[in-house]
Amino acid sequence: MSDRRTQTPPQGTAATPPSGVRRIRMPQKLRNLELWLLAFACLINAASIVLVQLGALGTIDTQLVLLGAGLSALVFGLHIAMRFVARDADPFLLPIATVLNGLGIAMIYRIDIAEGDAGWESAAVRQIAWSAIAILCAIATIVLIRNHRVLFRYTYLAGLLAIVLLILPLLPGIGREVYGARVWIGIGDIATFQPGEIAKIALAVFFAGYLVRNRDSLSMVGTKFLGMRFPRARDLGPLLVVWALSMAVIVFQRDLGTALLYFGLFLVMLYVATSRLSWVVLGLSLFIGGALIAAQTLDYVRNRFANWLDPFSDERFNADPGGSYQLVQGLFGLGNGGLIGTGLGQGRPDLTPVPQSDYIIASLGEELGLAGVFAILALYLLFVARGFRIGFAGQDDFGKLLGVGLSFTVALQVFIVVGGVMRVIPLTGLTTPFLAAGGSSLVANWIIVGLLLRLSDTIRNHPRLVIDG
Amino acid sequence: MSELTLLVLQLGFLLLLWVFVFAIVYALRSDLFGQRVRKLPETAAASASAAPVASAFPSSPVSQAPTEAVNRPAAASGSDGGVATTESASRLVITSGQKAGSEFPLGRDEITIGRSSDSAIIIRDDYTSTHHARLMLWNGRWMIQDLDSTNGTFLDGSRVTVPTPVPLGATVKVGATTFELRR
Repeated sequence: MSDRRTQTPPQGTAATPPSGVRRIRMPQKLRNLELWLLAFACLINAASIVLVQLGALGTIDTQLVLLGAGLSALVFGLHIAMRFVARDADPFLLPIATVLNGLGIAMIYRIDIAEGDAGWESAAVRQIAWSAIAILCAIATIVLIRNHRVLFRYTYLAGLLAIVLLILPLLPGIGREVYGARVWIGIGDIATFQPGEIAKIALAVFFAGYLVRNRDSLSMVGTKFLGMRFPRARDLGPLLVVWALSMAVIVFQRDLGTALLYFGLFLVMLYVATSRLSWVVLGLSLFIGGALIAAQTLDYVRNRFANWLDPFSDERFNADPGGSYQLVQGLFGLGNGGLIGTGLGQGRPDLTPVPQSDYIIASLGEELGLAGVFAILALYLLFVARGFRIGFAGQDDFGKLLGVGLSFTVALQVFIVVGGVMRVIPLTGLTTPFLAAGGSSLVANWIIVGLLLRLSDTIRNHPRLVIDG
Repeated sequence: MSELTLLVLQLGFLLLLWVFVFAIVYALRSDLFGQRVRKLPETAAASASAAPVASAFPSSPVSQAPTEAVNRPAAASGSDGGVATTESASRLVITSGQKAGSEFPLGRDEITIGRSSDSAIIIRDDYTSTHHARLMLWNGRWMIQDLDSTNGTFLDGSRVTVPTPVPLGATVKVGATTFELRR
């Protein structure tokens, strides 16, 4: 072996010594870049909390700044963990998620000040506690799952887990109903957790594994019609099952947004796995058909559609259950913000109902203005683009599908919430990833960060040989 | 705290947010605009143009060294019909072309070959397609599959049309580069 390695290299290459396998590995470079961006992110988070205090209180209160600093320490903990177990992971995901999480905390804190909450009553303190739990979950994800292909083995278990998580809120005893949607579980009187958020990760794992195993029959055969190859009737099974599942979510859990999220996730992964547009056409027509029937028969869906189409009429604005008061207040808030916003701590975001969870983007839009909302959307865009890039660069089909699926859930969720608040689509109750108050959403999204980091590490860690001709 | 100070602070904060966004965009610019073209040293550039010629005429003196070095072990193990499996093959050896003599470890993952920077083996020459071919594992056996490349993939001189098992020591040709799987 060694004699061949040390042989005199033939012609041309004499100038460059035979290098054997060239591994593109720049762990220190990537991690150092991440460290700089993280420091920047923590600076932004501290600045946002200080600005809220200056704007709303006029003084600086060190207590919450200290809590925020504790959170920064945890983020750096994740960074240090990655230096050991995921040295080649993507350096952008963590700083972006940190900034979004920090902006969310600052805005929730600002609304606490307006509503006079403090201590454990304060949503901001709870949000910081949940963020700490979520980041610990991300660290656990990246330390425990050393190779994403482990998840491939548990494809059907993940599917079962998703179903169980979806059914949990419907069970008497632990299920809780909040604002009409039965998607919470809790102990006693407090609704504490939305299992559906975790279910979306389990579903992404299940869909990826299932499609890798079965995509041949879904993509190869079928009859051509209208320039597209349509699947055979008997291959429609999976699509119909997921459609029925999301319709069940609409009917029993009364949650339009979650149903749209699950179904959209499945359609996109199906499209990526088979590259056939006919699945998207079939799926979308099924879902729109189902949603239209729901709009005719279910009161809450009908209200959402009416509010979307005509929010400013007196009748809709004053309708007591399911009126458009919240939607209109959010729009007024965004309008009040204008181009550069009223300034952190100086707007009136608390006039809108639930300004810290579903409507956090309207609150941020009021105080940071169009410029701030665009920056936030740009951060989401970069996050999702990194996720797609990780999926695209993957060497194995399961990793590819999982990467695309996980980042698409973030993208679709942002679209559903922000689109609902800004009246692009009917308003549905979903959380804005990383920003909105809510523990389950934070935990789920930080686990997604952990999984994407793990995927990107596996991909870059691959040995590579570069031959420049 | 005066109105003006707060306005200046607000503008400063928005600026900070956007600087962060653009810092990230700047850091990943190579993803958006492709990798910077590296200037090859003079001799390497000359050999780059010679490389395709060398593989086109294997008897020409310039390529004598690599072919000889390569034929020795090939003759020893020979194209003995033993199919390369995860047990029998441990490395991929480049036998001619720019990086002749280089080795690449065979793991349990498929190996993509092409000009794209996502490939495991990146061959940047005029004859290689972006996603040219891949070596994949079917029940532990290494198979070569051509991914609709323009110039084709050749196994022992014949063009690969369907996924084909690769025997140990058989020559696979992609663009101007040939390689073998060895123990």
